[in-house]
Amino acid sequence: MSAIPEGAVARPADPAGEGRTSLGTRLATAQRRFGIFQILALVALFEWGTWTVTDFATKSSILSMLVAASFLGLAGAAQTIVVLVGGIDFSIPAFISGGAILVSQLTGSDGWGVVPAILLIVVFSLLLGATNGYISHRFAVQPLVVTLAMSSLITGALLVWTKGEATGSAPSFLSRVTAVDGTTFGLGIPPVVVIWAAVAVVIGIVLRRTVAGRRLYATGANPAAAELSLIRTRWVWVATFAASGLLSGLLGVLVGGYTGSGNVSLGDPYLFEGLAAVIVGGTAFGARGDYFKTVLGALVLTILSTVLVGKGYSTADQQIIFGLLILLVVAGYGRGPRLRDRV
Amino acid sequence: MPPDLANRLRRRPWGFALLVAIALFAANVIARSSFAAWGSWPATLADFAPFALAAMATTPAVLSGAGGIDISISPLLNLVSIVLIGVLLPHGLGGFWIAVPISLALGACVGAISGVLVGVFRYQAVLATLCGLFVLTGIGLAILATPASGTTGWLAHLGGKVGPIPGALVLIAIPVLVWIALGRTAFLRALYSVGGDDVAAYAAGVDVTAVRIIAYTLGGLFAGLAGIALAAATQSADPGQATQYTLPAIAAVAIGGTSLLGGRGSLVGSIVGAAIMFLIQTLLDSLNVSSNWLQLVYGAILLVALVLSSQLNRPRKKPVEVQPA
Repeated sequence: MSAIPEGAVARPADPAGEGRTSLGTRLATAQRRFGIFQILALVALFEWGTWTVTDFATKSSILSMLVAASFLGLAGAAQTIVVLVGGIDFSIPAFISGGAILVSQLTGSDGWGVVPAILLIVVFSLLLGATNGYISHRFAVQPLVVTLAMSSLITGALLVWTKGEATGSAPSFLSRVTAVDGTTFGLGIPPVVVIWAAVAVVIGIVLRRTVAGRRLYATGANPAAAELSLIRTRWVWVATFAASGLLSGLLGVLVGGYTGSGNVSLGDPYLFEGLAAVIVGGTAFGARGDYFKTVLGALVLTILSTVLVGKGYSTADQQIIFGLLILLVVAGYGRGPRLRDRV
Repeated sequence: MPPDLANRLRRRPWGFALLVAIALFAANVIARSSFAAWGSWPATLADFAPFALAAMATTPAVLSGAGGIDISISPLLNLVSIVLIGVLLPHGLGGFWIAVPISLALGACVGAISGVLVGVFRYQAVLATLCGLFVLTGIGLAILATPASGTTGWLAHLGGKVGPIPGALVLIAIPVLVWIALGRTAFLRALYSVGGDDVAAYAAGVDVTAVRIIAYTLGGLFAGLAGIALAAATQSADPGQATQYTLPAIAAVAIGGTSLLGGRGSLVGSIVGAAIMFLIQTLLDSLNVSSNWLQLVYGAILLVALVLSSQLNRPRKKPVEVQPA
């Protein structure tokens, strides 16, 4: 490629002429890279809330929104990487419930230390997540179904182990980590928000600046091409699903701290809302997007649902609005090519 | 496995599932001899009908290929039962000739919307039906905040007996008859060709979009029937149970030998798959195993079934061809 001089490659016609890119093109690029639309929506929603909902922009209200967004954003992180590699993970809620139940039952009822309990959660999450990735890839089965099965398996195992009723309570330091009035090194920010920020930075760096991240994007964009460039796509899938399981399991530990104890339906809200955060943020199946977008998506959805609750909408209305919102957002970018263009 | 048997199973992928179902049925009879008693059949089949119909409703979308799946079937059938018991019956619209057409039309319309989203607007099926799941669950909760119960003459018959026949059998037979009728038209062949390779089907002049829309509409129609079956069996509607059939239905389709990649499989396979899921549940019940085990067993069986069916449905290996640059 380097033998071809710059400019010799045929370019598509440029309607603006003189090599200038039109405003539309530049906006589209900016939208793709930074999610301008999502940022505008975030600002608009926040202003709307501030003007129409009482006590919306107070410190405690903003902090509680940030805590909620942290949970949603961390669930979205687990989903984002899987969506980028071309899969989908429906077992995230089971991992979350599992983390919460294990940490409260082991430390609260069975007298384990916190560190061994968390280590056990890490090992379980990695192994079961890796199984998701391996079965989906090795047997070419839709990950949607594999992870649904895994979800049922984990939930069932938790029910059997706890005999249907989880006991114990999460260690108290975990509730301080996730409390809205918690402090980090004396600063008035709940530690969970700081954790979320740190995770976001790490995922951002791994995705964009490391070989592992390149491999993940290459596999998601075109598995056959990735395979031909000597990327072992099966291990990319295994590693990605294992990472998703790990993130969800550890998120479960935090959620357990927030609610004080665990039960098998604790993770349920995070499945569809986490996926919604990914999609509203602008990440699409097959290597389009990044975690920064999901962070925006999580913030948009949290503020939206806070505004809706403030205006007295019920859970039912919120679900309907979320569903329509995803349809609307996906209409903008996430649709497949025309059949006649694929012939 | 001898090659002959493997070939036969490959041609009729639900054959293996049928053997498993028969074995499970025998195990059920051994565990509780009253299981096979004629008098208990209407009630047992009534419990089974929503399973079978939900699995059949999921099948056309899966067959249509390109990642086709309809995860909104379960909330849709739940919504139909909510409309039936929570709206139509209390408002005196519970007559057979009013309630049944409304239920079926509701199912078919929602299915058609999913079909248009997938076929015309080129949404990924998972995403489009996920939004459907959100919206339908929300609408169900908005109509009925808490569970309600009720029944009426014809609904009680469908949950029990219609003349000498168990009512549930009538409900299960309808999609099968529709399917057989469609087999006499070009539609089924078009559906399988679209599911196998949509680009080739398009190039061969098949109206891929129309085929997909009809497939999802059929699924919605069957979901309408499933909603009626659920209302007949439980005589109640519970908005909190919107997603109870999502996993069993997809599992039944996969166990029934339908390839989740599309283009291979059958409606009968899905009934057999649903029977397996159902018989496991009744067997655990008869053995007094705590219901906590059910999910664990479901998950394990689904995982094994997925691996087995992918091995049986494996296309012949094509060598990877690399074009010289």
